[in-house]
Amino acid sequence: MRILLVEDDPDLSRQLKGALADAGYALDYASDGEEAQFLGETEPYDAVILDLGLPKVDGVSVLERWRRAGVTAPVLILTARGAWSEKVTGFDAGADDYLTKPFHTEELLARLRALVRRATGHASPTLAVGALRLDPRAARASVDGEPLRLTSLEYRLLHYMVMHSGRVISRTELVEHLYDQDFDRDSNTIEVFVGRLRKKIGSDRIETVRGLGYRLLPLPGETTAT
Amino acid sequence: MTLLGLAARTTARSTAAAVARADQAVLGRRSLVGRLVWLAAGWSLMVLAGMGFALTAFFDQAAVSRVDQELNDLATGLYAEATVDPTGQIKPPAFVDERAQQAYSGKYWQIADLPGGPHPRALADSRSLWDAVLNAPKSALDAARNKPGAPVYYDTLGPAQEGREPLRAVALMVYLPGHAPPVLFMAAENRSRLDKDINRFALTTGIALVILGAGIVAGVILQVRVGLQPLFDMGREVADVRKGRALRLTRRYPLEIAPLAQELNALLDHNQQVVERQRTHVGNLAHALKTPISVMLTEAQAHPGPLADVVTRQSGAMREQVEHHLRRARAAARAQGSGERTEVAPVLDEIARTLERIFGDKGVRVDWEAPDDLFFLGERQDLQEIAGNVMENASKWCRHRVWAEAREISANRLLLTIDDDGSGLAPDQRQEVLKRGARLDESAPGSGLGLSIVHELAQAYGGRLALSESRHGGLRVELELPKAEG
Repeated sequence: MRILLVEDDPDLSRQLKGALADAGYALDYASDGEEAQFLGETEPYDAVILDLGLPKVDGVSVLERWRRAGVTAPVLILTARGAWSEKVTGFDAGADDYLTKPFHTEELLARLRALVRRATGHASPTLAVGALRLDPRAARASVDGEPLRLTSLEYRLLHYMVMHSGRVISRTELVEHLYDQDFDRDSNTIEVFVGRLRKKIGSDRIETVRGLGYRLLPLPGETTAT
Repeated sequence: MTLLGLAARTTARSTAAAVARADQAVLGRRSLVGRLVWLAAGWSLMVLAGMGFALTAFFDQAAVSRVDQELNDLATGLYAEATVDPTGQIKPPAFVDERAQQAYSGKYWQIADLPGGPHPRALADSRSLWDAVLNAPKSALDAARNKPGAPVYYDTLGPAQEGREPLRAVALMVYLPGHAPPVLFMAAENRSRLDKDINRFALTTGIALVILGAGIVAGVILQVRVGLQPLFDMGREVADVRKGRALRLTRRYPLEIAPLAQELNALLDHNQQVVERQRTHVGNLAHALKTPISVMLTEAQAHPGPLADVVTRQSGAMREQVEHHLRRARAAARAQGSGERTEVAPVLDEIARTLERIFGDKGVRVDWEAPDDLFFLGERQDLQEIAGNVMENASKWCRHRVWAEAREISANRLLLTIDDDGSGLAPDQRQEVLKRGARLDESAPGSGLGLSIVHELAQAYGGRLALSESRHGGLRVELELPKAEG
């Protein structure tokens, strides 16, 4: 297992290097954002431990650049800032886990193990329909590599449609899948969500089959990359 | 009042008292509108009253002088036509005046001489006088005597109305050839009609002027109201800022108060900056301490021994202090009341999205429900912290499902409910988990710093946190929070 550790504090990085080496990981180390970005984009890592407060380029920007460049390695964010606003920013940038300082080394190692297991556990982690790609592991979607900003319901809707792409899915089926029995919704709200989703992924990708439901299709001429 | 309450709690009692005193001082002053209206009303009253008196006096003078002229004509006529017979007796002219023929008709004449006393002695008179004598006050007689040939006008009483008939009279003293003592030609006219005319004029003028005055005051009120409207608007906008419906003043104000609006906005911005700077500063300091603490903890763990124990214990204490003061700094910043409002739905959504990712292994599904137009009266970061901690806690202890729902319960309160399908908490455990100082490494559902942070934050916002059993089996957390007006 090859790990990239990005941390600018010399003492902390010395301790982490020791602990990670003891746990049997092969380790690369970067102490600033520029170096981290370069290493992350050029080397294939199984996981990355990323500190957010970094010299030159901050951790969130590094992470965003990696994700835009198509780096899929799972990233564990290590930060002193534990507020939820910062957590949300980190996850939106593409993080897979988040650990707040101060922490116990054991916890870091446990999280890292879980992260690697999660990443390698799926045979084919990404689903694709044409240029539309969906990463269920990280709950992320993109079109032509450009990440989409979806609400949790929109993501769920898209996930279900990707899983059943090519098939006509009725409104009732979508309602049943998206909501509990507790939520008393009529199928009109589905139309609203489909409308919003169309705006984000391109309206031609979802076809309305009159009287039957919806169908997710690749655009004409697109081939599904795997 | 929530903000005031907040300030009182987090800063000092005296501040709140000072604010209350200042409020009273501000409210105690008479209103600007009242002042302007009273001033205008007082001034118009003076001018109009003066005008009324002048007009009435002028009319009075004009009317009286017309009567005087008629009386003078009558007296002069008597004088011109009167003859003295060879015996020295004065013969009145034989002209006919209808009214002077009727007794007590109100029109009288008399030719008299003054044999020495103050009372004239009638030599001839109109029939209307019957057996009465037209009297004249001494002053009038003196004046007539001093200026022979010139008419002297005066008021006196006539024979009608039991001797109380108000008369306007003239006395003309002349020397007639063939009659040695001076002769007094007198004419009088009942002045009650004249008085009635004067009074009626005064009354009409008075009413007209009162109406005019009321009109002027109404005009002034309207003018002041409309003129000061921008000030009232500004007051409303400032209230909106305080209530969190706006961040700054946005209207276009007239030239005179635009600088005031600008200064207010600058003050708001400055306030915001101070809050932000303070928060950033304390945050930076606290966060900068976290890495060294982490290093010390790890180092101590790696080399067990008595020193390591002390370091571990002290680092733990330092960590708690750092967390505590971070929260204090945020609470203090919050007390400044930036009046921000935060849309609830997007916050719940991003937290749900993030939690589903964090607890992806477990397959946690977070459903949320909130109306689009629901706003929390407070900072986004705080709502994120409150909802995030409760929902994270729920995700940690649920089996697979978490439900979050926010709704309006009154005009300025909202209720955030978070349910999970875990095993929940026994009633006696529920109070326990809210207590501060619970350990960071949670060992039971709901325990740990997460909920105590939420509890503290909710209290700082004047909110309420309640725990109960969810119908899905797990814990139900209910949070009552301030709602911004939509």
